[in-house]
Amino acid sequence: MSESFRGSRGRKVMSRSSASELGSVSHLLVDARQRRVAAVVIGHGKKAQVIDWAQLSGFGPDAIMVVDEDALRPPADDRERAATEGRLELVGRRALSERGNELGQIEDVTFDADTGVLEDLLIGDRRVPAGSLLGSGSYAAVLDESQEPLP
Amino acid sequence: MRLLMTASQIRGLPVVTVGGGEDVAEVRDLIYSPEAGRLVGVTLNKRGFLAGRHREVLPAEAIHAVGQDAVMVLDESSLVAPQDAPDDVGRPATERNVIGDDVLTEGGTSLGKVADLVLLVGSTGEVVGYQIDKAGGGRGYIPLPAQLSVSGVALVVPNITEEFVQDDLVGLGAAVDEFRARMGLT
Repeated sequence: MSESFRGSRGRKVMSRSSASELGSVSHLLVDARQRRVAAVVIGHGKKAQVIDWAQLSGFGPDAIMVVDEDALRPPADDRERAATEGRLELVGRRALSERGNELGQIEDVTFDADTGVLEDLLIGDRRVPAGSLLGSGSYAAVLDESQEPLP
Repeated sequence: MRLLMTASQIRGLPVVTVGGGEDVAEVRDLIYSPEAGRLVGVTLNKRGFLAGRHREVLPAEAIHAVGQDAVMVLDESSLVAPQDAPDDVGRPATERNVIGDDVLTEGGTSLGKVADLVLLVGSTGEVVGYQIDKAGGGRGYIPLPAQLSVSGVALVVPNITEEFVQDDLVGLGAAVDEFRARMGLT
């Protein structure tokens, strides 16, 4: 089952053990090196909390299920703090080739709901395999040169 | 057909890490070796409005690519303190600047004065031509051979360079390969 960053934003996050609602998705934190969703961020600002992908029992179409409330934790480092503030959000980020040329803006990202593995990046109206992603940060997502449209 | 850009277009570009997607600095100035026909490094400014000079420099060996929108490095460790950089980057000699030098052919014709450097987009800093203020007035672009005689006041180019003077960067991009083929370079 394929999911998208845009489509899952705002989806409710539920505890499997207590069946209570914990919040809703504000951001997805990506591990660009492994090309997968590393964690789900719920809430905003100082109240934002992080749930590691391994703590999910299901990333479903109607709710994201978390094993229990203990899975929620505050951001652990600067990178996670930046992520909870939305500064690492992939959607809306500029895409650069490793040759230093802009490719456009990332409109959406799809991933496998079972594994969290990224599938495609939608850049402008081009669909680019996530295997081309080399790195991602507050300035840009960097793609390998095979995505270079220049001669 | 090659895509080219001038040194003035490169100044101010962000320096971005391939692995991290972060803008760690921006280009302040280019340090160029006319003999080698390429950049030896880049001096840096901090990112942000009025942020000022960056303490560290970027040696050419650490440049992953110079593009139209960014200079790419692998990671932040590519930026080094001047004392840890090769001497020609850490303490560049200002007289090596070719801007303003007279461009003379081997036959003794002046083509004009060097106004700017022209680099290959996507390369690690290869300088393939100069923008010149033409002797007869106006701007022009000339391709460069791999090796040059440079004195600090003038540089000498092959006679056939005169046939390759172009009006714009696009023209030069189309002419570079043919010029190099005629020069016996690949």
